[in-house]
Amino acid sequence: MTQRIRSQITRGSGELAILSLLSEQPLYGFEIAKRIDERTSGAMKFTLASLYPLLYEMEKRGWVEGRWQANHAGRDRRYYRLTPSGRKQLAPLKEEWRNFFQALDALTGVSHA
Amino acid sequence: MPERMKPDWMQLVRERLAASRSCHQDVVAELAAHLEEVYEDARTGTSSDAEAMRIAFAQVDDWQALAAEIARTKSEEDSMNHQSMNFQSMSHRTKTVWLPAIAVLFGVGLLLLFVDRAAVLQRLSFIACMALLLCAVASEANRMNLRTSSLWLPGFVSLTAASLLMFAEEIMLARDPSFYFTDVSLRPGHLISGLPRWFYILWLLGQVLCGALGALLSRRGGGARATRVVAGAFPALVMFLLCGLVIPVSAIFEHNTIAASHPSRLALGIVIWAAVPAVALLLGAAPFLKESTLRQA
Repeated sequence: MTQRIRSQITRGSGELAILSLLSEQPLYGFEIAKRIDERTSGAMKFTLASLYPLLYEMEKRGWVEGRWQANHAGRDRRYYRLTPSGRKQLAPLKEEWRNFFQALDALTGVSHA
Repeated sequence: MPERMKPDWMQLVRERLAASRSCHQDVVAELAAHLEEVYEDARTGTSSDAEAMRIAFAQVDDWQALAAEIARTKSEEDSMNHQSMNFQSMSHRTKTVWLPAIAVLFGVGLLLLFVDRAAVLQRLSFIACMALLLCAVASEANRMNLRTSSLWLPGFVSLTAASLLMFAEEIMLARDPSFYFTDVSLRPGHLISGLPRWFYILWLLGQVLCGALGALLSRRGGGARATRVVAGAFPALVMFLLCGLVIPVSAIFEHNTIAASHPSRLALGIVIWAAVPAVALLLGAAPFLKESTLRQA
């Protein structure tokens, strides 16, 4: 049960992180993983094994779409961009997570620890 | 210092995903690209080749579990793509704008054809139908599978562009919209002088752009090199099918003997309207056929 909750939290936070990044600009998988790592100072890490199933799942839902194009070095990379449907998901997801942290804070006082 | 051998990431990933035959070539290419970047990132640090390889492969603990998860997602996606072929699941814009407009224009074109009036309007309505059909397909872009986005859509865009070009030339260069097409096909000698020559040369130059358009769209749609070639040369392939299939069928079923009695004309027609345009289309497609080592199958 604990594992399942942890897995769902990881997945949910991963979706929000990816949608937020892609709302700024289209990125390919490695860039997504690297930026999440840099911006969270390593607190959130995506490996190949955790990133792509999530990206394909989000693509299946129509939140993101991938297109092959050349990167700055002239190599073909699959760039993901946010779809209108994905953009609509972003605000409610952020709200959901804000409420979650507030609830957790009220319960445990974790943010003041 | 000897140049170090670059690992063949495609092959390495393919071997590890071997048990999962449902993993598409695009998935293999994407995962290989990711591993390559992790490896090169490690190499730009202080890691040795062996250490960089270890860091790259530490990205995945269980390849079979990963393959199974990707296969599950992708098979559901394919299944959704197949389900999306029905009317109910089409987008609102397709159902309320594109399809009704196509139906009306197609009806107008058929009516004009039936009463044998306004040849220019007939062709215009059918070409507009093709353009609107492409708009409808673009509206369904999120539901397209790889073959549609990398082959059929770019191919039909290229074909539509080639048809529009011919139509525009006929409007600009001739009063009778069927004159030059017929004239050039039946009297190839006209190609060396006068308006037919300019008609044909301009059209051929346009084919370069059409081929480029098809290959570019195919590349953006994730098409492999062979798919880009087919998408770029699509108008010529259609013409070849028309010449090579429709004319013999017409001869057999409608006893149309013109092709049988003039086989050299038929061959010349194929050269003029399919083979030479194919070369022009492929010339245009050529800049978009370059493929990185990662995308090569």
